[in-house]
Amino acid sequence: MSDFQQLALQLATQQQSPVWLNGLRAQAAVDWQKVIWPTRKTEHWKYTSLASLQKNVPAQWAVANDSWQQDVEFVAVDAHRLVFVNGIFDAASSSELPAEVVLFSQANIAQQAVIEQYLGKIVRGEQHVFATLNNAWMNEGIFVHVPRGQIFSRPVYVVHVSTMSTQPASVNQRLLVVLDENSQAEVIEHFVSTAERQNIFVNALTEIVVGDNAQLQHYRLHLEEENIQHVGAVHVNLLRNARMRGFTLALGSRLKRIDYQINHRGQGAELDLQGVYLPRNNQMVDYHTNVQHWVPHCTTNEVFRGIIADSAQAIFNGRIYIHPLAQKTLAELSNKNLLTSNKAEVNTKPELEIYADDVKCAHGATISQLSSTALYYLQSRGISRSEAEVMLSFGFINELLQQVAEPAVRDYLLPRLAVLFGRDQTLLEMAD
Amino acid sequence: MLRITNLFAKVEEKEILKGLNLTINAGEVHAIMGPNGAGKSTLGNVLSGRDGYEVTDGKIDFNDKDLFALSTEERAREGLFLAFQYPVEIPGVSNMEFLKASVDAKRKHHGQSELSAVEFMKLARETSKRVSLDQAFLKRGVNEGFSGGEKKRNEILQMMLLEPSLCILDETDSGLDIDALQIVANGVNEMRSPERSFIIVTHYQRLLDYIVPDFVHVLANGRIVKTGGKQLALELEEKGYAWLEEEAV
Amino acid sequence: MSEQVKQLINQEYAAGFYSDIVSETLPPGLNETVIRFISAKKNEPEWLLEWRLKSYTAWLEMIEPEWAHVKYDDIDFQAVSFYSAPKSMDEKPKSLAEVDPELLRTYEKLGIPLHEQAALAGVAMDVVFDSVSVLTTFREKLFEVGVIFCSISEAVHKYPELVKKYLGSVVPQKDNYYAALNSAVFSDGSFVYIPKGVRCPMELSTYFRINEQNTGQFERTLIIADEGSHVSYLEGCTAPMRDENQLHAAVVELVACDNAVIKYSTVQNWYPGNAEGKGGIYNFVTKRGVCHTNAKISWTQVETGSAITWKYPSCILRGDNSVGEFYSVALTNNYQQADTGTKMIHIGKNTRSTIISKGISAGKSSNAYRGLVRMNPGADGARNYTQCDSLLIGDKCGAHTFPYIESKNPSAIIEHEATTSKVSDDQLFLCKQRGLDAEKAVSMIVNGFCRDVFKELPMEFAVEAGKLLQVSLEGSVG
Repeated sequence: MSDFQQLALQLATQQQSPVWLNGLRAQAAVDWQKVIWPTRKTEHWKYTSLASLQKNVPAQWAVANDSWQQDVEFVAVDAHRLVFVNGIFDAASSSELPAEVVLFSQANIAQQAVIEQYLGKIVRGEQHVFATLNNAWMNEGIFVHVPRGQIFSRPVYVVHVSTMSTQPASVNQRLLVVLDENSQAEVIEHFVSTAERQNIFVNALTEIVVGDNAQLQHYRLHLEEENIQHVGAVHVNLLRNARMRGFTLALGSRLKRIDYQINHRGQGAELDLQGVYLPRNNQMVDYHTNVQHWVPHCTTNEVFRGIIADSAQAIFNGRIYIHPLAQKTLAELSNKNLLTSNKAEVNTKPELEIYADDVKCAHGATISQLSSTALYYLQSRGISRSEAEVMLSFGFINELLQQVAEPAVRDYLLPRLAVLFGRDQTLLEMAD
Repeated sequence: MLRITNLFAKVEEKEILKGLNLTINAGEVHAIMGPNGAGKSTLGNVLSGRDGYEVTDGKIDFNDKDLFALSTEERAREGLFLAFQYPVEIPGVSNMEFLKASVDAKRKHHGQSELSAVEFMKLARETSKRVSLDQAFLKRGVNEGFSGGEKKRNEILQMMLLEPSLCILDETDSGLDIDALQIVANGVNEMRSPERSFIIVTHYQRLLDYIVPDFVHVLANGRIVKTGGKQLALELEEKGYAWLEEEAV
Repeated sequence: MSEQVKQLINQEYAAGFYSDIVSETLPPGLNETVIRFISAKKNEPEWLLEWRLKSYTAWLEMIEPEWAHVKYDDIDFQAVSFYSAPKSMDEKPKSLAEVDPELLRTYEKLGIPLHEQAALAGVAMDVVFDSVSVLTTFREKLFEVGVIFCSISEAVHKYPELVKKYLGSVVPQKDNYYAALNSAVFSDGSFVYIPKGVRCPMELSTYFRINEQNTGQFERTLIIADEGSHVSYLEGCTAPMRDENQLHAAVVELVACDNAVIKYSTVQNWYPGNAEGKGGIYNFVTKRGVCHTNAKISWTQVETGSAITWKYPSCILRGDNSVGEFYSVALTNNYQQADTGTKMIHIGKNTRSTIISKGISAGKSSNAYRGLVRMNPGADGARNYTQCDSLLIGDKCGAHTFPYIESKNPSAIIEHEATTSKVSDDQLFLCKQRGLDAEKAVSMIVNGFCRDVFKELPMEFAVEAGKLLQVSLEGSVG
């Protein structure tokens, strides 16, 4: 076992959790010891090194801290809000919660039964090292249960704040979302850190079931500062005629790896997934998506775009897997990248694995520059070359931002990203 | 205003302009007509300074400055405006943002302060009414999903906002129905003034029914082969270009 | 799909016969003695023996790659014979008249007449039978313009400087497991040298034939196109039908000096195994070329044979403005497995590469495109365009695309597109309504699907490739 593995095991024993989670945790701790630690030779970690984690082992649990308020601004959305600071629930900053949104530790017997039915079942731990770790580390979690036929009028908004810790420290996060048939909900996961230098390692795992005819809007926003280390994942099962509309955005950091594992398990399911990554400086972002079509008549439409600046690195691995039964699948994936510096790097791998013949699948990936025609057009109107480049770069991702369905998320992201690109935010707001 | 002397220009190693001469004084409207491939669009792109259009000989003075010493954006700020034959779609960049950036760039160049967002919004809204463009277009991506007519009106909108001294309209009439053509022509006519000159590049004389030129030039084989008044356009409509091309060889 | 189509199935693999030729075959097994034997048999200089032994030592330390999308039982290298040659080849024949008539008959049966009068006009051929080169045609004619075309064993003796300089220069001994194995035991193969400024007057071609049982073929090809020269080279291959799998692990190295052009075409028709997946060749091949300034290497491959194909003809675009191309049709049927594609490594400025890959899967086969496009930091203005299309025939097969795209240069442009489709019922209906039978219709559609690649083949072989595809597809429609 690696140093990290050893220490992680110790951390697991220090963690307190509801008793009824003990079985899952104990099994995970056993599995964790058998885990083969990913190296650069492991296909799915080919471009992402875990060396920083090994070097700076976050050997203790992060503790709560209240010096973050002035640094963190929430998305201005009327929502059921849950705030966690360094993994610890902050009731004072959270809103009052409806019965359908509970912490694992406060779940009633009936809720415990539903949690146990799904928790750790959507994710395939044996294939995801850090999911096994998340199971072993679990002390708490959020359970969102949308009962049959119910439509949540307000989004569930989960904020994860990381702050500076005296020593490198770990945080474990878990979210379970279950939408019963014909229900609808919106869930926003927002990861943010204070502006200080960070030394937190976050392992944040989300499991989602979208039931028959149910609809979910899901957001996962990673706006943490540079030194955070984050390994996270979203595992989803889509049942019959389920519809998921997902959006994710990540600024870079020292280590930022996000996996989307989405399974079409019921016929007629539809997935729209869009993502934006914007690493700068010495940061990196690694998105791995894997959409599996197990049954016929499902649709996937996936679009990821990234701008890689300075000495940053981006990795995108987008796999679409069509199992033998999944006839009449429609699946499309597009990944576009813009490198804006001589030292920037991108590695992209769109993959198709297809075992059914009556399907329409396509993927495309590009790494390119800004259109020279568009640059000329802007310049011919008096705009300088450098400003035209910034405008077009921003436009490249703004195209996706404009499609974000939740206006509050859009309004939150636009000015922040505009600042990142040096754009005039007032005008953006007015033009909106 | 503009003096083009013995202009030679190449595109992708092919010589398109071969000794073109043209002088335009303030307040004049010049129509440039000619067969396809004569170099009409090349002239606009050379004037605007597009990459890939290589000037091999000749000179152009624009308001007593050497045009070739200026970059594309400097020419624009100095008052040279090209209305594109095919306006470019730029998804993700809002039209409003684009327009303000252009206007600000020009104002800054002339030592004026930038407009506040509020001032600019007001100006943009008023101007868009003048070209009958719905305000919704200000919010959309630059030309994104605009119809042909909307794109051309967006060009005229930009022209009005930038108040250039020399406007080059490159086949602005192509692909326009009669209503859109009138809107565009009215926009141009509104802007005619003793200080402002126009070059109207067109294949047909239809547009010249609405924008009456002071001079009509025929461009063939990279040179002006004939110059006349409005009457020449009608003559061309009737007789085509072949008789002039023969002369030009 | 229709019944009559099903009845058209099971055309025999035409090249599946065995020639009864007395051969000297080493007993199975691999050790230093075997390598010394091969080297001694060829009367090799000491340096080459050392080179082989070094490769062998490296190979022992290496592990078989597992990343490819293929499945097979472990290969028992001690059960493979690493050298087999017809007895009659003990003394290499000096002319056609000295060649064993049984050997000549073998090639006639394969449709490859070796008499220069009867040979395909404009094609010079090197013929490799198991471990040895039997004959090279039109040598004198080529020699007149300075083109060297001979077996690599001969080149070792006649042109040691060239061989020493370039052997292993593109595919190093330890490049990968099979390249290391090949470097240790390679028996024969072709050697080509085109002098400066010469445009090779004929197509050059090598025909590889595996005949003996339990024998592996490990050929090595080295093509050097000196500055400003031009050559087009084609290889073909077949083997008898056998229930056992046989190993073919070749290495091909191409060197395109400044302004040179090499066009390398392959029609690979090794025995694919039977309809139940028994037998067939394991084709584990390393092919790579290096392009210097303004040079161009173009790989075209039509892969219809082999039980397993593991092959990535690649270009290292070292020189500025150099060009790499890869055009591939890979067809798998029954239980065949192919994992094939290319690597384009852009090092020089303004380098350009094009990849067109057409995968056709039928039966229970598995067909994967695996490619790498890499833009190094110095590859200013480099461009790549990749188009990978898969066609599935039937619902028991698999079609996969694994492109690795890496860029470290902001001025480089990479475009990759992949699609997958099937021969649709609508297309078939249209064809049938116009009077074509289903078999013909599918063959037409498949040919159309492959057109972009076939047009890159030398004319004589494009037609051949089309036919081959048709034969390989038989039984797939139903």
